[in-house]
Amino acid sequence: MTERIKTLDEIVERNQVWPVMAAKWGVQNPVPPWKTSLDGLCDALDRAACDENIPDFKQRRDEEDALSASVYASLPYPENQLVALAHSLVARGVIDEAELKQRLAIIRDRLEA
Amino acid sequence: MSDHDHDHDHERTVAPMVDEITDFEVLEIALRELCIEKGIFTAEEHRLMTEFAEQIGPTPAAHLVAKAWLDPEFKKLALAEPMTASKEVGVDWLHPTGWGTPSDFTAFQILADTPTVHNVIVCALCSCYPRPILGNSPEWYRTPNYRRRLVRWPRQVLAEFGLYLPDEITVHVQDSNQKHRFMVMPLQPEGTEDWSEDQLVEIITRDCLIGVALPKAGVTTNVITDTRPAIHPGNAG
Repeated sequence: MTERIKTLDEIVERNQVWPVMAAKWGVQNPVPPWKTSLDGLCDALDRAACDENIPDFKQRRDEEDALSASVYASLPYPENQLVALAHSLVARGVIDEAELKQRLAIIRDRLEA
Repeated sequence: MSDHDHDHDHERTVAPMVDEITDFEVLEIALRELCIEKGIFTAEEHRLMTEFAEQIGPTPAAHLVAKAWLDPEFKKLALAEPMTASKEVGVDWLHPTGWGTPSDFTAFQILADTPTVHNVIVCALCSCYPRPILGNSPEWYRTPNYRRRLVRWPRQVLAEFGLYLPDEITVHVQDSNQKHRFMVMPLQPEGTEDWSEDQLVEIITRDCLIGVALPKAGVTTNVITDTRPAIHPGNAG
C-alpha cells in the first residue's frame, strides 16, 4: 500500500496546498473549496463499500492514517486525506494510474478552457 | 443608470478567492468522475452527500444543551431519549439528510457532566463523530495522536487544550464506535443563570460538546491547537 505512485508524487511536488494558495491570493477560508465535495465522495464510497476492492469506512481511514504519516507526511490536511484516498483507490485497482493521469489532464484542460 | 451606479466599493465587498486551478482541485474531480463512470456511486448520490456535508454544524447540539440547561424536563428527555430531543433542534438521526443516512448513522447518547465527572469523546478506532448534530469533526479529532493518547493520558491531552481538571473530578473518556455516537452535555457555567437560549448557545462551542473545553461566559471560540504528527515507534530511531 505504501509503494509510490508517480502521478500522485508529481502533485505533491507541485505543492499547490491550500495554505500556500490561500496566502498567495489573500484568502481567509481555513479549508479549500473542494473539501465538502471530498466529504461527499468519501460518504458515497462508504455506502458502496460492499463492492469488490472498494475500501469500507474502517479500511479507508486506516489507509489514510498510514499514508498520511508516511508517503504523504509532507502534505497538510485535507490534501493528505484526498491524496491518500486516491492512493488507496489506485493501489486497490479500483482506478488505474494511467486512466487517472489521463483524466487529470482532460479535467485541467476543461477547467482552463 | 449604469450597472455600477451605486455607492459601494467592489474591492471591499467581494471576498478574495484563489483564481488558479490547483492539482488538488483537479484530483478531487477526477476521482469523483471516475467513480461515477465505473458505477460505484451516482452523481445524484454524491450531490446529496455533499449537501449534507455542507449544511451540518455544531449549532443544533449547542441549542440542545442550552434548552436542557433552561428546562429540566427537556434535560430529562435529552438524556433518556436523545433521538427525540435531537428532533426538537431539527436533527432527525434516522433521516439526517431527509433522504437516508450517511455511513455514520448510529445510536446516539448524550453524556451529562456532573460536578464530579467530566466527559470527553474520542474514536480510538478511526474518527467516528456525531456528525448530524455536531458537524464535521475537527482535524485534530481525526489524528492518531489524539485518538491514541486521549484514552491513555486524558488529563495531559486535555491540558494541551488548556483544560486543567482537579484530581477530584473523574475524567470519563467515551470511545465511539460504528454503532454508537456520543456528545457531551457540560454543566452550565456560573454567571449565566439569567441568560437566554441564544446567549447560551454562543458559549456552547464545538470543543465543549466534544469535552476538550468547558463553557465560560465570554468565550465563544474553539481552541486552536497544533496538529501533532503521530510518532511511529518503528521509525523513531
